[in-house]
Amino acid sequence: MDVAGKVAIVGIGHTVQGELPGRSVEENAVDAIVAALADAGLAKEDVDGLIACKSAQGLGNDVAVGELLGVNPPYAQCLDYGTCNFSLHLAVMAILSGMAETIVMSYGANARTGKVDFGAPLGGVDLATASGLVHIAGPAALALQRHKYLYGTTDEQFGWIAVGQREWAGRNPNAIFRKPLSMADYLATPYLVEPLRRPDVTMISDGGVAVVVTTAERARDMPHTPVYVSGIAEQSGVRGAYNPDNLLRPWLRDAARSIWTKTGLSTSDIDVLYIQDPTAVWSLQMLEYYGFCGIGEAGPFLAEGHTRPGGRLPLNTHGGQLSESYAWGWMHMVEAVRQLRGDAGERQVDGAGVAMYCSSQAFSKAAASILSTDPAVAA
Amino acid sequence: MSALLPDVDDPVAGPFWAAAREGRIAVQRCLTCGRLRYPPLVGCPDCLGRTYEWRDLRPTGTVWSFAVYHRALHAAFNGQTPYTVAVVELDDGPRITGRVLPGAQPVVVGDRVRASFESVTDEVTLIQWQLL
Repeated sequence: MDVAGKVAIVGIGHTVQGELPGRSVEENAVDAIVAALADAGLAKEDVDGLIACKSAQGLGNDVAVGELLGVNPPYAQCLDYGTCNFSLHLAVMAILSGMAETIVMSYGANARTGKVDFGAPLGGVDLATASGLVHIAGPAALALQRHKYLYGTTDEQFGWIAVGQREWAGRNPNAIFRKPLSMADYLATPYLVEPLRRPDVTMISDGGVAVVVTTAERARDMPHTPVYVSGIAEQSGVRGAYNPDNLLRPWLRDAARSIWTKTGLSTSDIDVLYIQDPTAVWSLQMLEYYGFCGIGEAGPFLAEGHTRPGGRLPLNTHGGQLSESYAWGWMHMVEAVRQLRGDAGERQVDGAGVAMYCSSQAFSKAAASILSTDPAVAA
Repeated sequence: MSALLPDVDDPVAGPFWAAAREGRIAVQRCLTCGRLRYPPLVGCPDCLGRTYEWRDLRPTGTVWSFAVYHRALHAAFNGQTPYTVAVVELDDGPRITGRVLPGAQPVVVGDRVRASFESVTDEVTLIQWQLL
């Protein structure tokens, strides 16, 4: 079934992103839901679906969020930590199957003031973790070092991801890191896990984010310009460590092939690009795998400035997880909607009509979505 | 905080740790399709065979990639920075990630290494990489 133009995002909402001490994951999720429903002009009773995404600690599932929100929607479901784009896809599928008509998707986090330890091994301790390969920065650094070896990528070329996103963040009042970061500043920052520096790795912040999705038919009666879902694709890599070269996540290329084939669109159709970025390495990889530049050519491509303000491929115009907030990629979806509505203030990209959002669940899954104000943009 | 230590009595990975204690690198070899696999897993993800043997591999290989921790991102590694972790492609095929022993030269991809067996407790021996 072709999804193009049949479902639209009609509401976005979020809490302040930063430090929200003493507040639970569910409180942050529900406050964001209230904001998103208000944005869509809806009451909680108007929603017949709830899809919750878990926090890093596994909190904020649909049962806990539903209790605090005080609803019994016919359809309620929960996805794992790190599944924002996947939540959107599940919402599209639930709506197109008739399971629900209007769905609110939520995410809440209190990882900053809750002091979640992102260096703790996720599974049992193996030789790699016992040797000190901890935190997502470790495997990301290994992937970047291999990229440097294969293609000659330099620190400066790679640094344009973090520096460019900080330039965008300077135009975003919601961004937590807004202090200008020049290339000289970047290169003077000590390594965290070489070849990654601190600005290449996500911040950790508290906050909630929610998105309301409904049918194209209902969307036309909503207060805002509908942002249609033009295409969705996923590709898993759940063989995990037993994939050849899994540190380089070669299966991302299959997610790319899938979304371009399904939509009939190409990279030149994309006005604004969002890449979920726990580390800048994810952006480096996805620029290449999705075909915005050739394999191994992301370094020179970035150095040419295409992804910075004024460039032809604006990337993470809110600042991403490196400069705006943690929010596990949920704010990327919010920003894509703001840009397509023309509501992005100082950082508005002129004529933004088609946005793409590429995300991954670390070393196991990839998801891509194309969004547009034109319901017929995809064939 | 104490060190991050593996469960050396794990029913699947146990023989890997027992071999390391004896100064050997042993990985599983599927008895159905013959493929080597690492990290240890209860069955073969290629042919789904459930029988396997442990095969000793040559302790030499090449650095596939590496990362240098300049800050401890887990309390177990406080006081150990800077330290280098490398993915080593063994001459027999599998890639094994472990600590690189500090040396005079900085690590580069392609460096030749040999395994060194570092006893950290009576039960736990970690495979580390010595630059050749």
